[in-house]
Amino acid sequence: MSIFEIKDVRKSFKNGEIEEEILKGVNLPLQKGEVTALVGASGSGKSTLLTIAAGLQPASSGQLLFDGKNLTDLNQEQIRQIRAKDFGFVFQSSHLVPFLTVEEQLLLMLEVAETTLSKPEQKKEIDKILKIVDLEQRKKAYPSSLSGGEKQRVAIARAIIHQPKILFADEPTANLDSKRSKEVMELIRELTNTLGITTLVVTHDEEMLPYVDNIIKMKDGIVI
Amino acid sequence: MKIAWKEMKKNKAKFLILGSIVFLISLLTFIISGLANGLSDDNASLIKDLPDGQFYMSEDAEQTYNLSSIDSETQEEILNKHEDAAAFSIQRGFVNDDADKQHGVVFVTSTESDFFENVKKGEIVLDQSLKEDGIKVGDTLTNNQFDDEFVVKGFVDQKKYSHSPVAYINTEDYQQMYRVEDMQLIMIPDADDSLSFDGLESFSNKAFLNTIPSFSAEQMSLNMIVWFLVVISGMLFAIFFYMMNVQKIGLYGILKAIGIKTSTLFKMMWTQMFVITSISLILSVSLSQLFNSFAPDGMPFSLSMVTTIQLAIVFFVIGFIGATLSGLQIRKVGPLQAIQQGEV
Repeated sequence: MSIFEIKDVRKSFKNGEIEEEILKGVNLPLQKGEVTALVGASGSGKSTLLTIAAGLQPASSGQLLFDGKNLTDLNQEQIRQIRAKDFGFVFQSSHLVPFLTVEEQLLLMLEVAETTLSKPEQKKEIDKILKIVDLEQRKKAYPSSLSGGEKQRVAIARAIIHQPKILFADEPTANLDSKRSKEVMELIRELTNTLGITTLVVTHDEEMLPYVDNIIKMKDGIVI
Repeated sequence: MKIAWKEMKKNKAKFLILGSIVFLISLLTFIISGLANGLSDDNASLIKDLPDGQFYMSEDAEQTYNLSSIDSETQEEILNKHEDAAAFSIQRGFVNDDADKQHGVVFVTSTESDFFENVKKGEIVLDQSLKEDGIKVGDTLTNNQFDDEFVVKGFVDQKKYSHSPVAYINTEDYQQMYRVEDMQLIMIPDADDSLSFDGLESFSNKAFLNTIPSFSAEQMSLNMIVWFLVVISGMLFAIFFYMMNVQKIGLYGILKAIGIKTSTLFKMMWTQMFVITSISLILSVSLSQLFNSFAPDGMPFSLSMVTTIQLAIVFFVIGFIGATLSGLQIRKVGPLQAIQQGEV
């Protein structure tokens, strides 16, 4: 069943006098509980497609159908609410808040998502997620004392703590070595299965492809 | 979660530096404000302590009180009409004490009034600063323009004019010394500028203070320093938060991407500004009030709690404006910027 559908999405940028079309009518359905990978050469439009799907930038035309709504019809505040409650994000860099501990990063996300959990329930949920990402012992650590792999696992924990429906990951293993990259992809794979999340991941690393259900190849702004 | 507080706790040094600067600037502002007010009292407490109303001097005096002369007819007419009104004169002079030491004073005499000391013939009431010079009640003082002697009847608290202590004397003694019959000025309490008299120019209390030589120049210079410091503190907040915001653009972008409201980011910045300003002001207000209590006797320093609180409110407002102006860039940060940037 398709939970999110990208329909004929186009994106153009003005480069001086010339209008450059980055996405030329992309159609892509995302199935519930599956990991879909967007692959392609640099400049193929995969990251642009991911950021448009995630509501981080508007499409020039087309539709983004999610939960019975077309995201392109919504205003900024409505999109923000969807990002806070229904979407999770993992980026190339972990982008953790430098002055919050691992536990506080997750607590912040729960607050942003306006979850109805009580304080003890929030603590319980944080412990559960930290156990999944194997960071129970680093609960009180600040980002500055974490390794690159640990930071990215915290970023993943932050992206899923509020139980989003869709996880968007933009090159989540780009800054990690091969071993750590595999660990992170295994984690994303496992979480998608156990929590029933739908994942759209952008990667250029072919070694990551065994961990995904669908591979979508892009070239020059179209799906091939 | 108190995200603003968490940041301050983690980056103590950064916020301590800003807090210290705000503390020093606000302390300096309070001290200069205390000096401005002290000098103002030293220059014109005689007038400042009078109730709000209107002052009158003759038009031909061209706003110079000691050239003014109000004829007795006009004076009587006004005093009969306005019960609280008082006619008075001010003249610089000096008195010699028992040891023939000369003390500069400003002689003040008035018609019977609750606002001025009523002194009998041959008596004199002095500002308390002359007590500190060794003059006591019962001492006799002389003046080369006065045929008789003055007996010191008492002292009054902080009554100065043009940086000189006031000496209240009887009108007859005054007339003998300065060989004048007419008073220079009339003061009508609670009157407004609609009340006018032929041949007399009217002044509000504030306008009359400005006729005192050097008063407005002195106050303008000091007040300019005070407001300059207030503006500097506002700019300091703006610059500090601008620098911090520039450093945190990536972070703001990512927080926006995960769904944090822009208003939450503004609240975070305002909280930090409020905490820093509050702590800095508590310290500087306490220290300036302590200085107010222990300032050396010769130093004209007067800092009321009302003035301090007013200035503290101005600091809050200016800090808020400074931080908000610098924070406008937060609104412009797009979530996408964070993704395109490196680690925050």
